[in-house]
Amino acid sequence: MGDIIKLVGKRLGLGLLILLIISIIIFFMVELLPGDIAQAVLGQGATAENLKALRTKMGLDDPAIVRYLAWLADAVTFDFGRSIVTDEKVTTIIGERFANTLFLAAYAAVIAVPVSIILGVVVALLRNSVFDKVANVVTLSFISSPEFFLGYILILYFSVKWGIFPSIASLSDSMSFWELLNRTFLPALTLVLVVMAHMMRMTRAAIINLLASPYIEMAKLKGAPPWKVIVKHALPNAWAPIINVIALNLAYLITGVVLVEVVFVYPGIGQALVDAVSKRDFPVVQACCLIFAATFILLNLAADVGAILTNPRLRHPK
Amino acid sequence: MSFFVVGYYALLLVTSCLAAYFNQRQAFLVLFSLTLVSFVLGIVGGVPALRAVATCAGLLLFAGMIAYAFREFLIYLSSDDMGKELRTAPLTAAFGMFVIFTYAIMGIFAPWIAPHGEAEVISSAFAPADENMLLGADQLGRDMFSRIVFGARNTVALALVGTTLAFILGAMAGLLAATKGGFFDGVMGRTADVIMSIPSLIFALLMLSIFGGSLAAPSTSFWLLTGFFCVVGLLFLAAAAEGAMGWLIGAAIAVGVAVGLALFGTSIFNASEVILILVVAIIYSPRVYRLTRAVAGNVVVMDYIEAAKLRGEGNWYLIRREILPNSTAPLIAEFGLEFCFVFLLIAGLSFLGLGIQPPTADWGSMVRENATLISFGDITPLIPAGAIALLTVAVNFVVDWMLHRSSGLKE
Repeated sequence: MGDIIKLVGKRLGLGLLILLIISIIIFFMVELLPGDIAQAVLGQGATAENLKALRTKMGLDDPAIVRYLAWLADAVTFDFGRSIVTDEKVTTIIGERFANTLFLAAYAAVIAVPVSIILGVVVALLRNSVFDKVANVVTLSFISSPEFFLGYILILYFSVKWGIFPSIASLSDSMSFWELLNRTFLPALTLVLVVMAHMMRMTRAAIINLLASPYIEMAKLKGAPPWKVIVKHALPNAWAPIINVIALNLAYLITGVVLVEVVFVYPGIGQALVDAVSKRDFPVVQACCLIFAATFILLNLAADVGAILTNPRLRHPK
Repeated sequence: MSFFVVGYYALLLVTSCLAAYFNQRQAFLVLFSLTLVSFVLGIVGGVPALRAVATCAGLLLFAGMIAYAFREFLIYLSSDDMGKELRTAPLTAAFGMFVIFTYAIMGIFAPWIAPHGEAEVISSAFAPADENMLLGADQLGRDMFSRIVFGARNTVALALVGTTLAFILGAMAGLLAATKGGFFDGVMGRTADVIMSIPSLIFALLMLSIFGGSLAAPSTSFWLLTGFFCVVGLLFLAAAAEGAMGWLIGAAIAVGVAVGLALFGTSIFNASEVILILVVAIIYSPRVYRLTRAVAGNVVVMDYIEAAKLRGEGNWYLIRREILPNSTAPLIAEFGLEFCFVFLLIAGLSFLGLGIQPPTADWGSMVRENATLISFGDITPLIPAGAIALLTVAVNFVVDWMLHRSSGLKE
């Protein structure tokens, strides 16, 4: 047990290190601006006094490294400063939206994960049949379509033509849970379609890889019934790749959410990021990027840890 | 029971019986399961649902016939060796090649194909289609069809250039890391790790918020492009140059070439497009690096490399004459895959209004600008989105076949 904790701790440390480097990149990227933030905000026509006032207000007179450390210390306590454009606290802009985004991603994941893993296993068992080929073509098309294409097709049919679900996912506090699920169904479905295609293909590849191994052949040759071969022999070894697939795709969900939120006007963090980028509201951009990167790293970490926990061989690196 | 419904089921049943009789088990399975599904669909959705299924099947059949004919056409045109290879291509790959071919024609001859100019306002906003405009007008009264044709040129060209730059940077670094090993390898590997641990769309948004979009300055884009080419030149230099003198001359040449290329680049694309290309190249080069490093790493340990080293060949010779020829197949497939990613990223960014800037016609931004039409049940805004999807699917089909062929992946 001790060595597992050690390994997991090592991975955690590595993740934290990468996050630190990313925070450095995110912070110092803004420093690369031609001129500085004050110049960028006020534009070419700014007077020298205005520039000076804004620089003092934003603390731009300190050296970059001091400002970075201050920013990092605040960021650790979830305080990302104030927006340049609206002067609101960044945390109040992002806070609720982040919860909304997590809700959407979780909604999509709850549908996508079980369905795609079951379908992936089925397709792997039926490999080289017509169904496998059809599934291959269909999943490839879903992966290749941009999210907004799928999103608008769903809007066109489900909301405009058939009127089953609302096309704009506006939320309010007074909604019941069912109402909420109904309102956010189309954005969630878009995400499900994309992620499911990815997951099905990856699950299929993992299972096929496994079924080609000699010990499965052995199990078949000794006369074990097919379901037993799958459940008792293949599945214990399949957990590691499957967990990997899930974690990687959840990480994918986090970024896919940006486009889907814009399509469905969903009040999430992705839309906040896009707005901030077009308004050049750097504190918000930095905060959103850091949050997205942290989530992404966390999920990749989860994939690693899951793989270590389910595969004893990884616990004893040579 | 209309004539259509009777004909529909009769056709399905007759063909499935025929398939079963002639022992075409796969075809029979598809046809008969389609029949069963149609029973349910017919009860739930009525005649329109069946009509939709029939249309889809017709379109599929049409695509299949085009793909088959195009493959035969290619086999007829090409030499014997190539023909043999092409004969193994599945219909999906042939279809992909046909689509890529069509897009290439459309992009290259855009000004001759399009009936109107790219940014030419010819009627009122959202005017419906008439004999003058095939697909109607967009939100400013420009011809939709012409803009789609021009979009094929703008969007695809940008994605192609971005992919190429990402590929040159990533592949060169990967090849160098594989031959040099040691410290350089470690540093490059860690750098790639860090860049890849930021989600690509987020990283692109971050970089665009700083350098890019509509505010990009020509001088910034020029210096960034020069810097990028200098880095690439440095990689080439590290592989090819020998001795201090070689480094000096090489560096001078590299800087000169970099400035020249940057001037050329900024004269073709405007500032925001150059920034977009660079952003894409930086984000996707680590992926190329990873693959090249892995492929070249397998080649480097071969005996013939050892022999070449003992002969006293330099790194540049090894890369050019030994490693590259032995890793082309996976690299070409990777180029296709990267192109899909880059294309989707650029389309997504343009859709968000942060990529290709108006009035340049571009598929991603066209979808966004005309999205209001969708709430009136009009499908024209979906056509550019569909065009993006179709090209990516096509490239994926071809790549799938190439991967299958090169890796001998028989499962």
